[in-house]
Amino acid sequence: MTGRRVAAIIRRTLMSVAHPRKVAVTIVALVAATAGLMLYKVRALGYSLADVLPVRQYEVTYALRLDGHGGDVRVRTFLPASDARQTISDERTESAGFHLSQVFDGPNRVATWVGAQVPDGAEIRHTVKIVPRRVSYRIPAELAVPSSYPPSTAAALRPEKEIQVDAPEIAATLARIGADRGTVMERLRRIHDYTHGLTTRPFKGTTDALTALRLGEASCNGKSRLFVALARATGIPARLVGGLILEPGVKRTSHQWVEAYVSGHWIPFCPTNDHFAELPERYLSLYYGDEVLFRHTSDVNFDYRFDTRTQLVPSPRAKASFTFLDVWGLFDRLKLPFSLLRTILMLPIGALLTVLFRNVVGMPTFGTFLPALLAAAAGETGAGYGALAVLIVVAAVATARWAVARLELLHSPTLAILLSAVVVTLVGTSMLAERLGVAGLTHITMFPLAVLAICAERFYLSLTEHGPRAAGKELGGTLVVMLACYVVMNSLALQVLVIGFPEVLLLAVAANVYLGRWVGMRLSEYRRFRGLLTGGAP
Amino acid sequence: MSLLAAARGRVRALLARREAVYGINRRNLVLVYPNNDRRDYPLADDKLLAKERFAEAGVPVPETLAVCDGLFSVPGVVEALRGRSRFVVKPANGSGGGGILVAGEWLPDAGGWRRAGGALLTPHALARHLADVVFGVHSNQLEDRAFVERRVDPHDVFAALWADGLCDVRVITLRGEPVLSMIRVPTAESGGRANLHQGGLGIAVELETGRTSRALHHGRAVERHPESGAPLVGIALPRWPEILDVARRAARAVPLGYLGVDVVVDRERGPLVLEINARPGLEIQNVTGVALGDALAGLPAVVEVPGALAASGSAA
Repeated sequence: MTGRRVAAIIRRTLMSVAHPRKVAVTIVALVAATAGLMLYKVRALGYSLADVLPVRQYEVTYALRLDGHGGDVRVRTFLPASDARQTISDERTESAGFHLSQVFDGPNRVATWVGAQVPDGAEIRHTVKIVPRRVSYRIPAELAVPSSYPPSTAAALRPEKEIQVDAPEIAATLARIGADRGTVMERLRRIHDYTHGLTTRPFKGTTDALTALRLGEASCNGKSRLFVALARATGIPARLVGGLILEPGVKRTSHQWVEAYVSGHWIPFCPTNDHFAELPERYLSLYYGDEVLFRHTSDVNFDYRFDTRTQLVPSPRAKASFTFLDVWGLFDRLKLPFSLLRTILMLPIGALLTVLFRNVVGMPTFGTFLPALLAAAAGETGAGYGALAVLIVVAAVATARWAVARLELLHSPTLAILLSAVVVTLVGTSMLAERLGVAGLTHITMFPLAVLAICAERFYLSLTEHGPRAAGKELGGTLVVMLACYVVMNSLALQVLVIGFPEVLLLAVAANVYLGRWVGMRLSEYRRFRGLLTGGAP
Repeated sequence: MSLLAAARGRVRALLARREAVYGINRRNLVLVYPNNDRRDYPLADDKLLAKERFAEAGVPVPETLAVCDGLFSVPGVVEALRGRSRFVVKPANGSGGGGILVAGEWLPDAGGWRRAGGALLTPHALARHLADVVFGVHSNQLEDRAFVERRVDPHDVFAALWADGLCDVRVITLRGEPVLSMIRVPTAESGGRANLHQGGLGIAVELETGRTSRALHHGRAVERHPESGAPLVGIALPRWPEILDVARRAARAVPLGYLGVDVVVDRERGPLVLEINARPGLEIQNVTGVALGDALAGLPAVVEVPGALAASGSAA
């Protein structure tokens, strides 16, 4: 069926029904269209509603400091790579006088900074943004230990200097804990429980597998080495993983855990914190194998720390999977910022909210769109500065109006004078704020002037036509509704929902259709007509 | 517990009457949109246009002495008024009483008119005012027309309510039938304007009898004018059937179905229609103590009852 025929049928159907039916049919059609499109996307296109929820993004900065004594310096470390469990983005390095080179060494990203004539107190800062995900695996209970593995895993079965796979004590321990027999699941479970059961010690240094076994206590790297040694000895490829446990703040402590090769997958285990075949979101993998996190030219007084900050961002999976009429991708290609996309898409939601406040609550505002526009504009500066900008504009308009009122000028020239007053006041405020060192207030000038100009005009009209009382009421209402719009329009989950499922806006249309035929009393009118409503004299 | 029950009872009482008391949403959807075509609004907004319609239909209006529809016509209008007494200059599209200039006796010796308070209005000042009106200073638009009316000499009963200005009778009409009515009385506080939200006071008038039954000032019931002390309640309005009649005829002279018709009573000429409003306010419900829904339900059967309008919701 062609689109035009469908439209004709819809039109004929609408015309054949009576008016209230028309409204009801329109609302039902809008809701059904929304539900249908959403269902289609979830069922057929693999959208997930859960991806709408924002995820926590970590920004980790490697802050390295060293004294080069004017000589050549070399620092080698590992940078995180994107994989199924973590998405790395927005990497940037700030290291004056150093050259950064990167190579892949197996699964590891090796970064080397090389500098010549490096002074004392030199700093290297490298920042990455990470969206980590929780993972969890189910190991088939019946899976037997295979007799052969692909050659790529051979290294993960061999003994190493500090992972003494061949030591008799390892074999004896395997037999004692019963991990030398049974299915893969049984063996891994026993090894995990045994290594997890060792007393945890916050050792600073390195503990090899045998030492951990003999002492019966170890730090994370000792337990992990012992886990790897026992797993390899019982015929399951295993490797060490080094990384960070992500927490906002400053830390020096890295962490180690292990991965075992089961049915073609590297499955994580953390014997220290008792994660069996799973890892929580906060684990950031930096390297695989028994490596040292930092290597550097000796005698440079090397120091390091990790600075971690977090913020909520749209889920990368949402961006990757929301591909139908991909506006997100379009904005990326046009090099338009995400903030503009979400502002545009959230405006109808803000307008609906304003309609609710005006027609249901009975709160007067400057026009229907202004509160939503103000809230959108305040997205960059914050709601507080948005409200302040409005108040400054209103004060400027009131003052200028008072000054030119006696001249009895025509409408448009008066407005043009008021606009001049607004501009001068805004620039003046920024200058004053800079002089006083109030950083946030200087952003007032960034507030879109077009929106403030409309605000000024609306306030002026209200002031002249309805007087200062009514204008003040409308101003208060505008600020309240603007704050409400700000809260709703800045909800990241709602933004991603509208980007992924723009048909949600049809629901806003449906709500407006309903409100457009709603004859109920506004909340403020219950107060205004309370005398009549309760039957007594007012 | 009893407090809770009392609160619940109060809420229930508030909700029980919410269909009868008209809020803005209900007024617009049930009364204004179905009865008033937006295209016809200028007939209500432009006082001069309305007056022309009324004149054609034989509805009595204050006599128009002159119309000034451009800067070029200002000197002629001023010349025509020289020597005449007691007139009012109004912008055709003014609102809230802005731009209205009241002139008193012509004073031949001074070469001007007496203004309220004794000041002198010179022909030059009058010309300036006319020019301002024509330029739209008082109507928030680029241009407007000014018109000059003979001043209404209010009937004694109305003059007794407020001596310094004009009290009008606001009659709400649906399809030409009066629904509710009140008198709007200016106060010094309202600056001589009769608008209720500017501090004017409202007196309920019973449609059947033309007697004032109660008065409201700032939402509070009063028996006397708060400034002059004039009694407000229990007054029999003169020529009440004629007032209702001109309101009916005015409403039927324009295609607008839901209106507020403002009528004044001249000492000699009797009831005159001053202006009409296509979206009359809802405060009249508080003034009269009658919900619009109840008043509409009591209309004669010739008028379609808006309950049916609400059910069919026709927006034609």
